[in-house]
Amino acid sequence: MQLDIASFILRKLFRLVLLLIAVAIFSFVLISFSPIDPIDAYVGADMLQISPEQREIIAQRWGLDQPMMTRFVLWLRQLASGNLGMSMIFNQPVSAVIGSRFQTSLQMLAIAWFLSGALGLAMGVLAGARAGSWLDRAIRFYAYTLASSPTFWVALLLLIVFSVSLKVTPICCATPPGVLARDVTFWQRLHHLILPAATLSIIGVANIALHTRQKLIEVLNSDYVLFARAQGESLVGVIRHHGLRNIILPALTLQFASLSELFGGSVLAEQVFSYPGLGKATVEAALRSDVPLLVGIVFFSALFVYTGNTIADLTYQIVDPRIRVGRSA
Amino acid sequence: MAAPSLPRRTSIRFNRRQITLWSIAFCTFFLTAIVLSNWFMGDTGLDPALTQRNQPPSLTHPFGTDWLGRDMLTRSLHGMSLSVRIGLLAASFSAVIGTGLGLAAGTLGGKVDAVITWIIDVFFSLPHLVLLIMIAFAVGGGTKGVIIAVALTHWTSLARIIRAETLQVNSSDYVQLSHKLGRSPFWIARHHMLPHVTPQLLVGLILLFPHAILHEAALSFIGIGLSPHTPAIGIILAESMRNLSTGYWWVGVLPGLLLLLAVKAFDTLGENVRALIDPKTSQG
Amino acid sequence: MNGFNITYIMKLSLKTASCAAGILLAIAACAPSTSEQASQQNNASAPQQGGSSEQIVLALSNSEFDDGFDPTLGWGRYGSPLFQSTLLRRNSELGFENDLATNYSVSADGKVWTVTIRNDARFSDGTPVTAEDVAFTFNKAGESGGKTDVTVLQAAIATSPTTVELRLKQPQSTFINRLATLGIVPKHAHNANYGRNPIGSGPYKLVQWDEGQQLIAEVNPDYYGDVPQIQRLVFLLVEEDAAFAAAKAGQAQVASVPQTLAVQSIDNMKLYDVKSVDNRGIMFPFVPDTGKTTPDGAAIGNDVTADLAIRQAINYGIDRKALVDGILEGYGSPAYGPVTGLPWEQKDADIEDGQIDRAKQILAEGGWSDKNNDGVVEKNGQPAEFTILYKAGDSIRQALALSVAEQIKPLGIRANVEGKSWDEIEPRMHSNVVVFGWGSQDPTEVYNLYHSKSAQGDFNNAGYYADSKIDNMLDLAVGAPTQEEAIAFWKAAQWDGQSGFTTKGDAAWAWLVNLDHTYFVNTCLDIGTPQVEPHGHGWPITANIAEWKWTCN
Repeated sequence: MQLDIASFILRKLFRLVLLLIAVAIFSFVLISFSPIDPIDAYVGADMLQISPEQREIIAQRWGLDQPMMTRFVLWLRQLASGNLGMSMIFNQPVSAVIGSRFQTSLQMLAIAWFLSGALGLAMGVLAGARAGSWLDRAIRFYAYTLASSPTFWVALLLLIVFSVSLKVTPICCATPPGVLARDVTFWQRLHHLILPAATLSIIGVANIALHTRQKLIEVLNSDYVLFARAQGESLVGVIRHHGLRNIILPALTLQFASLSELFGGSVLAEQVFSYPGLGKATVEAALRSDVPLLVGIVFFSALFVYTGNTIADLTYQIVDPRIRVGRSA
Repeated sequence: MAAPSLPRRTSIRFNRRQITLWSIAFCTFFLTAIVLSNWFMGDTGLDPALTQRNQPPSLTHPFGTDWLGRDMLTRSLHGMSLSVRIGLLAASFSAVIGTGLGLAAGTLGGKVDAVITWIIDVFFSLPHLVLLIMIAFAVGGGTKGVIIAVALTHWTSLARIIRAETLQVNSSDYVQLSHKLGRSPFWIARHHMLPHVTPQLLVGLILLFPHAILHEAALSFIGIGLSPHTPAIGIILAESMRNLSTGYWWVGVLPGLLLLLAVKAFDTLGENVRALIDPKTSQG
Repeated sequence: MNGFNITYIMKLSLKTASCAAGILLAIAACAPSTSEQASQQNNASAPQQGGSSEQIVLALSNSEFDDGFDPTLGWGRYGSPLFQSTLLRRNSELGFENDLATNYSVSADGKVWTVTIRNDARFSDGTPVTAEDVAFTFNKAGESGGKTDVTVLQAAIATSPTTVELRLKQPQSTFINRLATLGIVPKHAHNANYGRNPIGSGPYKLVQWDEGQQLIAEVNPDYYGDVPQIQRLVFLLVEEDAAFAAAKAGQAQVASVPQTLAVQSIDNMKLYDVKSVDNRGIMFPFVPDTGKTTPDGAAIGNDVTADLAIRQAINYGIDRKALVDGILEGYGSPAYGPVTGLPWEQKDADIEDGQIDRAKQILAEGGWSDKNNDGVVEKNGQPAEFTILYKAGDSIRQALALSVAEQIKPLGIRANVEGKSWDEIEPRMHSNVVVFGWGSQDPTEVYNLYHSKSAQGDFNNAGYYADSKIDNMLDLAVGAPTQEEAIAFWKAAQWDGQSGFTTKGDAAWAWLVNLDHTYFVNTCLDIGTPQVEPHGHGWPITANIAEWKWTCN
């Protein structure tokens, strides 16, 4: 038994290392294809005031004048000593950039993740149970509308309605403007979390709701449900005893799949609410060819996603006995 | 006293099958009309006319005009036509890749499953916006770049779902039977798995479609996709965002409704086609 | 299937929701830093949002300082460096005044600048500002690889505690701009982390910087100049729509908004329409296509735009006023050259535009006519057709490109518009027309735009414009020993009555408009007279922030 667990963990770790290596190489390769000139991106609007000599100095400072292979090797060497490198955009160690931004956005993302999962499941079940009814139509309409709306739109709309017209939520940022960090209360932070988390939840719900609904409709059409109904089981009972177990699978899959959306996907909401998290940093890194920062974020995201997927896989085995049995067959 | 008569049928009632068929026909017609509207509408409404900017809907401009004075109805229809084509292509490719890999992973199991799951993990780990941008860059941008980039980045979710479904069905009796009777994995995938996963596939496809359109807009604003003044529904919606603060609602709401209608049409089409094909529902 | 009892579903949803809520609260409680309960009364560290002489909130959209507040890396090149002080400053007419410096002089050969500084300036940690710090700052800026360019500096040497010699490799009259924009950093306290802990001698000191969210600054009581009236500045780093929202909700006293939102009105706020040299224009490739390429292999030259008649016709044919009204909602002004409103603007270069007939005549005289009646004129078989490129994502440039293409259609010139990223535009910008936006308070830009030596295959003089007379004029300007003489030469290069790079001369560009920078400012806040602002979002308005006053009670 212990050998099993040990070998399981070893196998998983081995695959994780493989994954990280592949991801790092992938990132470097992708960036080398990118036509973006990082010096132009760094200098920005002052392009006409920077002489070619100055550009040379900038290139040297960040090692931009070397070919990609050399930079990759240098980066590996740095990594071996535990250093993720220096971000060109923020002039800070990559680990500091990721650390501070992750702290800021962790709460927002976690809330959005849980909420969209819970709400999505609930809505999917309701819609599936009452397929064809007005409730189902309403939920589907809501889901499709959201799937078709740009995130920016929803965010801005919420900002205008709740922060400007109704004045119940703040305009921006993670903390009240002008208040020193040590004076910020827990409730104030929560207050500032509402709109960004709501925006992300609202949009994330659509996917889960629709897939869950589909699965539930299927389940409700199956033979065993027919049998249960024939025996007098109510709809509620059917859902409780047969439905939920069977729809848990796509719902779980989606939940953990949406983890990867957290990185980069939240950038639009972050922009509107000035809630700078990893999303904005990721897109900036990509658009301004900040290689160390991009690879650092990708590493971090890989770790997260891998853990999530492993948990999902394990959960499949727990939730569905057929998979457990089927594997050994 | 007159004899009681049977209740008169006051309206023509269709049975479910007829309703399904009519829905399919109507949706197909609607969608084709949108895609072809490009060629019927002409180009005149697309030129800027600064003096006519920001006009609300009226008889001459049923959808109003935008910030450059262009007719919104012409733009929206052109936009839908282009976006439906791009979105459909991208979503279909993505769905095909996702289904193919998901089925393979679930049916073949073992090493194939491990490799495919690993590939899925790699794609998942890379933040998908970044991957999108990078791939579009690498392929050279434009419409082609958008379609390829969206297709290559959005199959992962669907693949995982389909893999999970396939794993579930794998252990069922009829699949085991087929296996024992000597059917190849491809046969099993095609005859047992595929019909089973079709509903989830359709849902995924229909959700991918507007998602692809919105990504196409994002790429265009960065400069990699289409020119941002190309009439494309995603771009129009994104541009209209600026007008939320100014109150020119028609620039965003009306094209948005058009997109919603198209998505709904696809959804209805999908549901009805599946209802016809899926034996569980086609026999009431 | 009758009577669907949704109680169970509701209960389930409720359970899930309350679980979620519980998790939610638990997570939100894990705040990154300790958060004690704030005291109930309003203490001085959290005054009301409404604005007062104690605190004002500014919503300026920007990412000007993603990398910190280190002047040697480029912080403070626009507006006020806030935390540091500079040797000289520009006043509201853009003339130079002494700030940290008490006097400066330039040697006869123009290569040595000698500056004496005041002896009563102190850094915010109490140590006095000496010439050593000035020398250190300039030397550091030269080797840092940041956004400020002092490559012309050979060495900076402190010759006494209050005198510093800046030795240049060659004379450069524009070096004075470095004296006005490079904030002085303390030699003893400068390190790699200085950008996040900027100790300086400026009117304000940094209290807290939540990256990407807000910046809090408090007045520096030891400031050597007039201590600012506004005690605390809170900068909200938001994007345009959110800045507008903040102003509308009454939470910001200054908000930088785009022109399209400037037409709105907000209670208690006044719209400041600040002139700027933030310009937009279209650049023509000046030479014909002879097969030459840049060092990177990009094609140079365009046969259509190389023709003077085409360039001049376009300049006369465009209606710039219509562009200002239609695209900028009137918040702008026509531009006939790159330096509108600056002391070195040559007003004689202005022309009367919107003259379609005159433009047609110029084309006809240039040998262009429509022989095959397809609406497009030709000359020697070459149709007047080209592509206009604009940076995707920029709505003003998009509007300008599309409108100009529309406006020159009646002339028989066909322009195809494409919106691309800079990376796609770069290889094509030497052979196609591009919408550019420049505008600086430093005339170096003029040199970089029009001198033949500047054309190296990048953004400087991308059109490969070359005229030896103009080259000469520009060289004289840069080498001039005094600012007044330099200005005379800059003006002559634009138009001296016989030649110049503006429309009446070579018409190398078709400058279109200058944007006005529009801000909503609370009616109680007196922000003095803003300067003519350069290219840049929002931050330039802070140039005179130390003089702002809150006038209500």
